[in-house]
Amino acid sequence: MKKRLYSIVFMFVLTFFFAAAVSAVKVYNEERIQTNQQVKLQRIILKVLGTPVKEKAPNREVIQTFEKRVKPIEVKRRALYVGYSEDGRSITGYAFSIGGSGFWGPVYGMVSVDPEASRILGIAFYRHSETPGLGARITEPWFTRQFKGLSVFPVEGDKKIFYLKPAGPGKGSNELDAITGATGTSRAVEAFVNRDLDRFLRETWRQMKRE
Amino acid sequence: MAKTLSSSQIFLQGLWNDNPVLRQILGICSTLAVTNLLVNTLVMNAGLIFTVAMSSLTVSILRNYTPMKIRMMAQTLIIASYVIIVDIAIAAYLPDISEALGPYVGLIITNCIVMGRCEAYAKNNPPWPAFLDGLAMSLGYAAVLLIIAVIREPLGFGTLLGYRVMPEGFTPWTIMIMAPGAFFTLGLFAWFVRARFPQSAEEKKRGQ
Repeated sequence: MKKRLYSIVFMFVLTFFFAAAVSAVKVYNEERIQTNQQVKLQRIILKVLGTPVKEKAPNREVIQTFEKRVKPIEVKRRALYVGYSEDGRSITGYAFSIGGSGFWGPVYGMVSVDPEASRILGIAFYRHSETPGLGARITEPWFTRQFKGLSVFPVEGDKKIFYLKPAGPGKGSNELDAITGATGTSRAVEAFVNRDLDRFLRETWRQMKRE
Repeated sequence: MAKTLSSSQIFLQGLWNDNPVLRQILGICSTLAVTNLLVNTLVMNAGLIFTVAMSSLTVSILRNYTPMKIRMMAQTLIIASYVIIVDIAIAAYLPDISEALGPYVGLIITNCIVMGRCEAYAKNNPPWPAFLDGLAMSLGYAAVLLIIAVIREPLGFGTLLGYRVMPEGFTPWTIMIMAPGAFFTLGLFAWFVRARFPQSAEEKKRGQ
């Protein structure tokens, strides 16, 4: 009986001590971790809006640039990031989150359109679990650069805004290069980017024009 | 109580004679997962070395007070605490690497090497040798991971620590980035070491 009681007390004290230690470390670093995540998102938003900060730029600089050039708003309960020009007078574009199922897991990204919501300014994917060297190439500049200037209005008679086709010549204006060897990822990206752009135009943008 | 070994014997055991990855085939899951980029491997190694050494030290300090029946529970708690501390530290100071390593830092908790050393050594030996044993075993793990990463990253990405090392026009071997590449590399490497430098009677027999 005494032995059992000792075991319980021992475990209680040990748990108490380690839980306290872990909590202390967590509390001490909480702010830093949150800033890291926030800055990461801000970098992506600035990048797709065409006002990128340097890769090595310190967090403080990113936050400052973000506060100066971007204003987050909410339309129909969806976050929208409004990009402003250097002098802060004119709007340079709107950025919003996109995302869906990739080949292996969820893919998160950010896309931006020009102030008239007619063309894509930039796109970036920042969290995914696609195969390195294949599907993971969605983050490479050659892939994301293709989206720049893409019209968000489907070509006459087309349902989709754009298609990802095997790389090669003789493509239409709404046909971009897919990733060789990553057909699954390419299809998935084509599907959810089309869907999210369409939803932005039908819901968010329509609401904004009304206001 | 087991005979206490000298420091150099402990290091020889961990790094070579009893190397956890090559001889005991422990900790394979993380070996496969984090060795496609050298920088990830380095951070993972640092995390594991800290966890194993500190867990062994703590388990050893508490060895005379820990009731035998609940020792596993106590060990798990101690290991998990150190791992969470490592995880928080990486998320706070190396956010990019934290993202790349994903769940693997947390999975150090279930890495057989950690609890294996607590059970096999730390719970029967004084703190200082236990600490050295943890250090030696995790360094043995780290050394193998580094070698595998140095093979995988250049072949898979054409780079080493992000710097281009393969000639222009080299076609990366995608398989080296994925788990099968790690299986091949580790398998061949472990086979080579065990056949060339057999330690146990079993290894000697099979090497013939």
